Amino acid sequence: MEKLNIILIEDQREVLEAIAKDLEPLEDTFMIEECESAKEAAEVMETILTQGDYVGLLISDHVMPVKSGVEFLIDVSKDHRFPHTKKILLTGLATHQDTIQAINNAAIDRYLEKPWKSDQLIHYVKQLITEFILDTGIPYEPYLDQLDKAILFERLRKTT
Amino acid sequence: MNTTSKKTDRIKLSIAIITPVIILLIPKTWFPIQNLTVIEHRVIALFVFAAIFWILEPVPIYATSILIIVLELVFLSDSSLYPARGEGENFGVVMSHKEIMSTLASPVILLFLGGFFLAMAATKYRLDQNIARVLLHRFGENPKWVLLGLMIITSFFSMFMSNTATTAMMLSILIPVLKIFPAGDKAKTAFILSIPIAANIGGIGTPIGTPPNAIALKYITGATMTFGKWMSFGVPFVIVMLILSWVLLLIFFPAKTKTIRLSITGTFLTTPKAILVYITFIVTIFLWLFDFIHGMNAYVVAMIPVGVFLSLGIINKEDLKNISWDVLWLVSGGIALGLALEKTGLAQHVIESIPFESFSPYVVILAAASIGLVMANFMSNTATANLILPLLASLGTTVAGLENVGGSQLIVLGTTIAISLGMSLPISTPPNALAHATGEIYTNDMSKIGVMIGLIGLIFVIILMIILQYINFLT
Repeated sequence: MEKLNIILIEDQREVLEAIAKDLEPLEDTFMIEECESAKEAAEVMETILTQGDYVGLLISDHVMPVKSGVEFLIDVSKDHRFPHTKKILLTGLATHQDTIQAINNAAIDRYLEKPWKSDQLIHYVKQLITEFILDTGIPYEPYLDQLDKAILFERLRKTT
Repeated sequence: MNTTSKKTDRIKLSIAIITPVIILLIPKTWFPIQNLTVIEHRVIALFVFAAIFWILEPVPIYATSILIIVLELVFLSDSSLYPARGEGENFGVVMSHKEIMSTLASPVILLFLGGFFLAMAATKYRLDQNIARVLLHRFGENPKWVLLGLMIITSFFSMFMSNTATTAMMLSILIPVLKIFPAGDKAKTAFILSIPIAANIGGIGTPIGTPPNAIALKYITGATMTFGKWMSFGVPFVIVMLILSWVLLLIFFPAKTKTIRLSITGTFLTTPKAILVYITFIVTIFLWLFDFIHGMNAYVVAMIPVGVFLSLGIINKEDLKNISWDVLWLVSGGIALGLALEKTGLAQHVIESIPFESFSPYVVILAAASIGLVMANFMSNTATANLILPLLASLGTTVAGLENVGGSQLIVLGTTIAISLGMSLPISTPPNALAHATGEIYTNDMSKIGVMIGLIGLIFVIILMIILQYINFLT
């Protein structure tokens, strides 16, 4: 079974841990990486790539020192090595301009406002990971229990 | 968890590679077959390789199929690697590399390609969903009849579409309405289970219903097996099995809810392209059924929708990428394996060396169908057919009295049907896996019904074969 990573980027330790706690039910199936800065996340992504594994999803905060979440996600969307990687922007403090940037230049897949609801977060994560797996063509069977069934069924009915 | 699964993967791969190598290293004289040739020895190793790879799945099953073709080309063909070549009676008969390669485009593969084009066009223009909507409407709101309706529609679609795609479509219709069942109403289980069961059974109905049928067609050659002829026994069998499953589901999971309303939205598309899809669909099926009027066999007819849909842009370049080439190549590998058994003479050689004449033909039939059924419960139905059917096909006339029960071709047919009845576990078939993944049913409910359908189905298969033999169906 391929190693699929979900990377969390959040500069506040306690918030980072809160997100990780919400995603605990997915821990057995996916690798969940916690990063405290965009720089750290970029390094983790590099390592994952060299190991031949997949970066399925990024969940990033926006307001962070050095490099903002939106800037980081723009970098990733320009990086041709991560064509299918999904992106969630999780923030309470993005300006109107940041949001426009995030949609137009980072092509984010979901926008979640803080404070977030954990079932909403899990739902989005499952949806996006399902899309990632189907887009990449990784066999979906080993992850079946954790996938979003509506998306999976809709995509499978189009196969021959 | 990832480290342990990586470890099991590595163990599986090692077993899968080492075992066939050991078979190759064993001296030829140790095999209980007289005068085994070098080539035949390699075919035995290839068969063991195929069986282990398809059972343990260290690589995807379609990759195993392609590996079979590659290994045949490199080690068994008339254009093989120099060190693998040899001469003389002791060396044996090599295979034609052209023949090995042509398995990738053999008539049954193209028949399936035609089927895929029809299914893809139907889904793209929402024909499937609209037919489901119109039909389902007629079954009212009594849960009992709605359940029957769902099963009839599902099995009807799976005769022409893949069992997996059909299940995905029907489950996506069903899941949103499951909330209406009060907690503890067993009918929910009945409804979810009905979809994979009906999809698995429906595949038996036509030659293009499910890939094992393609492999069976490959071996039912002497007799004339046409599309219509297959349906003439396939559809009645599907109906009998559907009624059986419906009754079982009603008995074990009775509904407390008095009414259930399933609504599917949409209207038939009336754009010129959509209408062309409808016409092509109907004309193709008509041509398949009435080959005796126009003379084109099922394989030739299958190419017509391919030509029509491509030239009209109904199926475009992007859609072509979504054709399940993996399924086609999975079948090709099976055909290539059968080809190796036949062309190198191994099949005949083995049959001559085993005292089959001492077996009762009825034992042979029951054993073949049971082995098929059991294997299909644990592994891919197509891979099961790939392994068993070529062996059965070569049984030929060696079993005394086999002709009284229809000969090897009828056994191939019966075993193919039995393979489609393997559905007692979530891993048995992709439809089962999808239904299980809804998280709304228990594995033991699936197993309870699946085992009963398998065992009673096996009896029905035997009855069907007796009837077909009685009316001299294959001659």
